[in-house]
Amino acid sequence: MATYDLTPRIGPSLDRHLVFPLLEFLQERQLYPDEQILKAKIELLNKTNMVDYAMDIHKSLYHTDDVPQDMVERRVEVVARLKALEDAAAPLVTFLQNPNAVQELRADKQYNLQMLNDRYQIGPDQIEALYQYAKFQFECGNYSGAADYLYQYRALCTNSERSLSALWGKLAAEILMQNWDIALEELNRLKEIIDSKSFSSPLNQVQSRIWLMHWSLFIFFNHDNGRTQIIDLFNQDKYLNAIQTSAPHLLRYLATAFIVNKRRRPQFKEFIKVIQQDQCSYKDPITEFLACVYVNYEFDGAQKKMKECEEVILNDPFLGKRVEEGSFSTVPLKDEFLENARLFIFETYCRIHQRIDMGVLFEKLNLNYEEGERWIVNLIRNSKLDAKIDSETGTVIMEPNQPNVYEQLIDHTKALQGRTYKLVGQLLENAQAQPAR
Amino acid sequence: MASKFWTQGGSDTEEEETDIEDEIENGGAGETTAAAAGSRYLQTNASDSDDSDGQKRVVRSAKDKRFEEMASTVDQMKNAMKINDWVSLQESFDKINKQLEKVMRVTESDRVPNLYIKCLVMLEDFLAEALANKEAKKKMSSSNHKALNAMKQKLKKNNKQYEELINKYRENPESEEEKFEDEDEDEDEDESGSELEDPSQIAAESSDEDDEGEDMDDDDADGAWEKKLSKKEKLMDREFKKDPSEITWDTVNKKFKEVVAARGRKGTGKFEQVEQLTFLTKVAKTPAQKLEILFSVISAQFDVNPGLSGHMPINVWKKCVQNMLVILDILVQYPNIVVDDMVEPDENETQKGADYDGTIRVWGNLVAFLERIDNEFFKSLQCIDPHTREYVERLRDEPLFLVLAQNVQEYLERIGDLKSAAKVALRRVELVYYKPQEVYDAMRKLAELSEDGEKDGDETKVEETRGTSAFVVTPELVSRKPTFPENSRALMDILVTLIYKSGDERTKARAMLCDIYHHALFDEFSIARDLLLMSHLQDNIQHMDVSTQILFNRAMAQVGLCAFRVGLIAEGHGCLSELYSGGRVKELLAQGVSQSRYHEKTPEQERLERRRQMPYHMHINLELLEAVHLICAMLLEVPNMAANSLDAKRKVISKTFSRLLEVSERQPFTGPPENVRDHVMAATRALCKGDFQKAFDIINSLDVWKLLRNRESVLEMLKAKIKEEALRTYLFTYCSSYDTLGLDQLTRMFDLSDAQIHSIVSKMLVNEELHASWDQPTRCIIFHDVEYSRLQALAFQLTEKLSILAESNERAVEARTGGGGLDLPLRRRDNQEYAAGTAGGGGGRWPDLSYGQGRQGSSGRAAYTGGGRPLALGQASRDRSGQSRGYSGRAGSGMRGSQMDASARMVSLNRGVRG
Repeated sequence: MATYDLTPRIGPSLDRHLVFPLLEFLQERQLYPDEQILKAKIELLNKTNMVDYAMDIHKSLYHTDDVPQDMVERRVEVVARLKALEDAAAPLVTFLQNPNAVQELRADKQYNLQMLNDRYQIGPDQIEALYQYAKFQFECGNYSGAADYLYQYRALCTNSERSLSALWGKLAAEILMQNWDIALEELNRLKEIIDSKSFSSPLNQVQSRIWLMHWSLFIFFNHDNGRTQIIDLFNQDKYLNAIQTSAPHLLRYLATAFIVNKRRRPQFKEFIKVIQQDQCSYKDPITEFLACVYVNYEFDGAQKKMKECEEVILNDPFLGKRVEEGSFSTVPLKDEFLENARLFIFETYCRIHQRIDMGVLFEKLNLNYEEGERWIVNLIRNSKLDAKIDSETGTVIMEPNQPNVYEQLIDHTKALQGRTYKLVGQLLENAQAQPAR
Repeated sequence: MASKFWTQGGSDTEEEETDIEDEIENGGAGETTAAAAGSRYLQTNASDSDDSDGQKRVVRSAKDKRFEEMASTVDQMKNAMKINDWVSLQESFDKINKQLEKVMRVTESDRVPNLYIKCLVMLEDFLAEALANKEAKKKMSSSNHKALNAMKQKLKKNNKQYEELINKYRENPESEEEKFEDEDEDEDEDESGSELEDPSQIAAESSDEDDEGEDMDDDDADGAWEKKLSKKEKLMDREFKKDPSEITWDTVNKKFKEVVAARGRKGTGKFEQVEQLTFLTKVAKTPAQKLEILFSVISAQFDVNPGLSGHMPINVWKKCVQNMLVILDILVQYPNIVVDDMVEPDENETQKGADYDGTIRVWGNLVAFLERIDNEFFKSLQCIDPHTREYVERLRDEPLFLVLAQNVQEYLERIGDLKSAAKVALRRVELVYYKPQEVYDAMRKLAELSEDGEKDGDETKVEETRGTSAFVVTPELVSRKPTFPENSRALMDILVTLIYKSGDERTKARAMLCDIYHHALFDEFSIARDLLLMSHLQDNIQHMDVSTQILFNRAMAQVGLCAFRVGLIAEGHGCLSELYSGGRVKELLAQGVSQSRYHEKTPEQERLERRRQMPYHMHINLELLEAVHLICAMLLEVPNMAANSLDAKRKVISKTFSRLLEVSERQPFTGPPENVRDHVMAATRALCKGDFQKAFDIINSLDVWKLLRNRESVLEMLKAKIKEEALRTYLFTYCSSYDTLGLDQLTRMFDLSDAQIHSIVSKMLVNEELHASWDQPTRCIIFHDVEYSRLQALAFQLTEKLSILAESNERAVEARTGGGGLDLPLRRRDNQEYAAGTAGGGGGRWPDLSYGQGRQGSSGRAAYTGGGRPLALGQASRDRSGQSRGYSGRAGSGMRGSQMDASARMVSLNRGVRG
């Protein structure tokens, strides 16, 4: 089942610290041998300052109490550096911790800098030290501290590049602290900066977008409203282009979001085309499912894929998020996905059939007969389906869905009125504007 | 004389010999010498393979031939003397001088033949006599008198060179025979020496120089050496004959300036200049000086090229490449020497010796030279008849160039001139991109083989260089063997990545096109398509130069072929249809001149066109291309015709195809198919009836399929496609006649599986191409009758017109108000912008190579339909702007996301992003 694991592809676009939750998840799902994951964790921690944690993992991996010398040395080094940075940033930190002093700050950055410099002897060096300190805190795993400092740093910083990386740092810290609402705010702020025209090079821009999308996965699949927002973000042309060129594996998440989100039909059609086009560059059961239902109309294939999708969702760190309810845990997304996928198949199936044998249909939908019949009756009752059940022969008979000619005519002409009004409004506006000029 | 060989000279090769010589004599003076040397090599090479025994004889006979000619000229002179005809004497004298050059070259000896000396003596005597005889002089006609005076001057000048020999001869005319014996022996040695060597003139020359060099070291008193004085030597200043220690930088520099100054002047033999300069390189005092002179040598070698349309003689080209390699050797050996063409270097810059610490600037431009060499190679391939052996031989020189390019590129990368390195890389890319793996492998093997063969030659050469110039030794530092990765893709990737990183705009565009072509060649359609779309080359190719446009056309054609091979019919058609819309495929691909009935081309245009032709080995097979295009069109058009047979204003997918179909339908009788077109037409007729088997058989009988690598799978795919389209055509045509149609029946009729038929029919149902639905329990299709009444149909027409009216109103207002206010549907506005764009561009996607006759861009936009065909089709029948819907999401978004500036687009394709 590890074939559909995207961690190796997602990893490079994430911060080291962000990969950590993914590894935890994999360990829990036991997709890979434990040993391998522990090794990966140590590897991951090597470059960070979370030396204590690395030591613990090392101990559990090799079942010893000894710790390699270089780790010990590194720990000393890290502590020393932490000390040094703390000292450097101390003046500013004490200033910021004093609520009275902080109230003197105003919205004007220049004023603030001037004020700090004049009254507290806090110059650019100290501010820079704050940034370094925050970064170091982050590296050490103290995310909340890092987030606070970075927030304050941003208020004082004048260098736009530094401010940007501070923003990235803040976002990562918020994600790791699971403050989804704040993280979402940071995400949008970052997105604005990336999309602004003044962003350095297009290449850089694309790269940043890719990163942003990867990071946002944490937020979107945890935030309540995330599934709509993921479509809003990923389905933008610029972002979709970036996905197609550099990170086609993100299509899985977009596809899932589309499937569980019923109200996105118009964009969905466009998206199907993208899926079709990118089948050669990326494929997994979820996209293949869509291709089966909407491109090739292979319902048997779709059914098979649906089963595979279940596995994929359970093993995906983002999609397979568990919710503990009492004694047993469920994956809410999985159920939702399956329900919607079933509906997709059924809908398309009904569109091209006049009479369907329920037995065959339920087989395609992975339902048993009783359950299926209830399901269909419900659909009919909620007037989602224009059909009748012929219980004698065990078939569903679709009502002929020939569009009424008159309805069609009305459809065609309905918009005309609105358009004309708008046109007139436009003209009048223009006419009024002209004399004024 | 060497008459003892004459009798042997009557071998079969003699005739060839004469042919070649005749040719040579027809050419200009400069060319003659060059070609003479060249032909000699060809000759020896050719006879090598024929019979090794005859080889000596061949060489002899060539030499004899020269002597014979000379002797006959001497006879003529004698006759002229008898009648005191100075005019003809003068002519003969010029002739004999020319012949002398040839003889010298043929025998490769430095010694002037005694026959010539004898002749000179004779002339001198006769002249003295004539001058003495004042009365006779008065009697002469004016022209004769003039000739006499001219002759006097000439002879005086000429004889100065041979003074010593003449004196010797006067002293001892009898020793003639004996000396000839010597000479012959010498020649033997020379010959055998040159056989061992690398078959390039340089090597031979350097062996001559070698002798001289040793002689120089020898005592001057050695009498034999005096005789060996070469003509070349004579041309040089006397001081070079002195002890090497006496040759100073100044003298060499002075002579060098002198020779260079003579360049381009009337009467300066181009070939001679090359030789003089080559000699100077041997005596150059400092590496920098040697470098400087070598640059001039190469420039002079370029001058040898007879004209703009002709190409450089091949042997000169080879020498040129060798010289470039030597330059690189020097540059690698002395990293403090910098080659630059921007600043005029100091006069005495080259005086700084090898041990000088600072940088030495030498004027020159490696890239320009390299590009010139490449151009000459390209030109020679254009000129040589591709069906001859010569062409193949010429193609074998490709690795030679690749070595050079590789070395230059490495050097440039080392000194950090990435921009130039990218240019060089592009040249390499352009030699590799069109090669399928098999050809590439062959080239790699050839390079390895030739390297083995050359190994010995190389070694000897190194020694020679050492012997020649004790002044500046240049060991072969750069490798003489190209290194190719296993896979041509790997090579392309390396080169192309470099270019994307640091090339300029044009270089990048060209590299991108080559990259696309190469991907397409390897059946990587999606990658090729992505590159094409992301690079936005389609949008701005019109603004590029013609050769890039041709490259673009070639890439498009190849992408089309690739799409077909991987089974993407609609895409394939999209790529190829425009290429065929004008009927000027040959011209667009630069694979021949197409004759236009409507306007004559001026000779100037024709010449231009001929100059940009692709060499034969790079051609894309036109028959295959046509077959693919027509088959794609057939597969799309036939169901389309069936679906809309009653619709008067139906959309035609391929105009070319429907025109052809009309023509073929008009014929009263149809014979068996002959060419590609006939085949496809016959297949079309069968397909219209739903007879897939016959249609496939006809297509299968085309013999262009043997050009495909994966022929079986392609034909398999084609068969499946034909079946599918036959099914669709059948359903469209006969749906009105059926109420229900069983799945089993269709399965039987079209030899397709249930699932396939179900899938195909479902697709049609969903797209509302077919008004029907499945009845699942009975497994059949139930057709619905959806005929509108006349009133209803009219009502529909009315609403359609109304919406057009509203739309045009909106557009009118928009034009007045500047567009900002109305929120028209986004897509439509895009379309308009785009349409405006194409109209402004003046032409379609396909860059038009014609001369100011811009085609209308109406068909421009359909060039690329990446997305799902069935969807596009369905909409096209209902929606006015349906054509644009066919655009894939990607293409559309690509258009819209054009905020990035042009340079950025290229950059964003860098591999870094993809990985």
